[in-house]
Amino acid sequence: MGKKRKHSETEAAAPVKNDDSAPERPKRTLLGWKDKKEDAEETKAASVFRNKEKVLVTCSRRISFRYRHLMLNIVSLLPHCKKDSKVEAKSSKGETLNELVELKGSSSCLFFECRKHKDLYMWMVKSPSGPSVKFLVNAVHTMEELKLTGNHLKGSRPLLTFSSNFDKDVHWKLLKEMLTQVFGIPKEHRKSKPYHDHVFAFSIVDDHIWFRNYQISVPHNEADKVARGGLDKMTLVEVGPRFCLNPIKIFGSSFGGPTLYENPFYVSPNQIRALEKRNKAGKFAKKIKAKTRRKMHELSNPLEPDEFVDMWKDDE
Amino acid sequence: MSLGDDFVEDDEMNMSDEDGAASDSEAESLSDSDNEITEKLTEPTKTAVYNRDGLLDKLQDISWPEDVEWTHKLTVEIDQGQEAVDVNDDLAREMAFYTQALEGTRQVFGKLQEMGLPFLRPADYYAEMVKSDTHMEKVKSKLLYEKKQMEETEERRKARDNKKMAKEVQSQKMKERAKQKKDEIESVKKWRKQRQKSGFSEKGAGELDLEFGNGKSFQRGGGGGGGKKRPGVSPGDRSGGKGKSASRMNNKKREFRDSKFGHGGRKGLSKQNTAETTNDFKGGFRGSKAGGSNKRQKR
Repeated sequence: MGKKRKHSETEAAAPVKNDDSAPERPKRTLLGWKDKKEDAEETKAASVFRNKEKVLVTCSRRISFRYRHLMLNIVSLLPHCKKDSKVEAKSSKGETLNELVELKGSSSCLFFECRKHKDLYMWMVKSPSGPSVKFLVNAVHTMEELKLTGNHLKGSRPLLTFSSNFDKDVHWKLLKEMLTQVFGIPKEHRKSKPYHDHVFAFSIVDDHIWFRNYQISVPHNEADKVARGGLDKMTLVEVGPRFCLNPIKIFGSSFGGPTLYENPFYVSPNQIRALEKRNKAGKFAKKIKAKTRRKMHELSNPLEPDEFVDMWKDDE
Repeated sequence: MSLGDDFVEDDEMNMSDEDGAASDSEAESLSDSDNEITEKLTEPTKTAVYNRDGLLDKLQDISWPEDVEWTHKLTVEIDQGQEAVDVNDDLAREMAFYTQALEGTRQVFGKLQEMGLPFLRPADYYAEMVKSDTHMEKVKSKLLYEKKQMEETEERRKARDNKKMAKEVQSQKMKERAKQKKDEIESVKKWRKQRQKSGFSEKGAGELDLEFGNGKSFQRGGGGGGGKKRPGVSPGDRSGGKGKSASRMNNKKREFRDSKFGHGGRKGLSKQNTAETTNDFKGGFRGSKAGGSNKRQKR
């Protein structure tokens, strides 16, 4: 395959900082490496920032079709991810996953776990010592739904929009940072495409994080300028997928560690189902009780004999 | 975009999330606290862990250095506005997300435009898209189908309305014609009476030209009569004529019965001679099927 020159072509007025040349080789002295112009070097090193994020995406074994499609959609959205084969569920999943992440050399991981063929949990983990979050995923709509009509370049860098609630509290800030790092494609990634034609929207509503992906369509003639008045004519078409994340817990290290945050409003789906069953059972018991109560009441308060009981008896 | 029925699942799954274990205790009692499943769980888990310092530490650990250029992150924060969006109201919620994304994109585009970097896809840039072409074909056909359905219902409605209108107009016209006819007949009668009165003199003739119109009335009557032609019935045909419109409905029944029980033969022609049987003195009934072919030719 030919060397991709896309990025250099599109960086028309590339600022100097993005010239990703390695810093100058330090001078070799007898005592070790000695840096020339140390001060200048330091600032330069600090400014050459490379986003080397690599995400590992895996799932557990008994995952259902809808969630598998969601995972595949996410894989297609993130070119800096690597999809791995299914992971055996039961034994010590934290350690095996940590090892897997190390092995693949990724810096974060998205692990989809499907329980009872009904509930989907998503782990978002920063390796090696980063925090990890466990989410419950709701309201899943994949990209294959025909009502989601948009389309965009595969691997183009998205614009990330967050609602302002993310700055309200510490745990939201942490989640925002993690989402930025995981869902934001690194700048000169070799599989990324140059233009920005879609936007992710993360919002917090009702203590859930809602994710939407829209395609941007704006009338334009040149690649670096919107047509006059075009910003007002901009429309967004939804591409998908859609999901809603309910944070359950935040742990201090990857796939485990001290619990830093627990969601006080979280109720596990098992509990919900159990409650519903109990309510249903309760209905029948209530009915029986009401019946007996009515009987007792009738017995204790007999009705007066009706005046009109004998009215038709004579006619026959 | 129609956020219709597909997204009902949304609500259900969402609501079930906010279940309160607090309502647990009430299920036992007889009170009619009707399934407060939407209640949020605030009471029992006041023991939830919230280690703010730990969280801040981790945040410091993982964040990128402060002076990282914005183009690496491409994030933008949008203020959502004061009113909290109701989660269960699908349309409002999606509108909120949409406006958030739109606002964000506007801001980002403004920035990018200032930076002078190309960020809009040119029309001739073809590359792999995240949804395949076949999938987009399906999407397109579905959209077209929906549009066609809508158009068809519109047309049907219009046709119905037009029919109504047309019927009214036609009835008006009929009334008018009838009235005109009556008027003309009246005028003829009047003319006759006048002539009688004035003793058949030639004087009154000129006045009455107007009343006959343009001779249109004759034309109409004549034309109307010649409009519908009766289907040709030849005099010798005693079979009852070719298909009348009334008998078209019974034709299907007739055809069905013919195919089942055999063609019964024409009415009243069974004892008439054909060309072949004229000189046939042996006589006799050679079988109904053979006779059937005769009858067809006699027709």
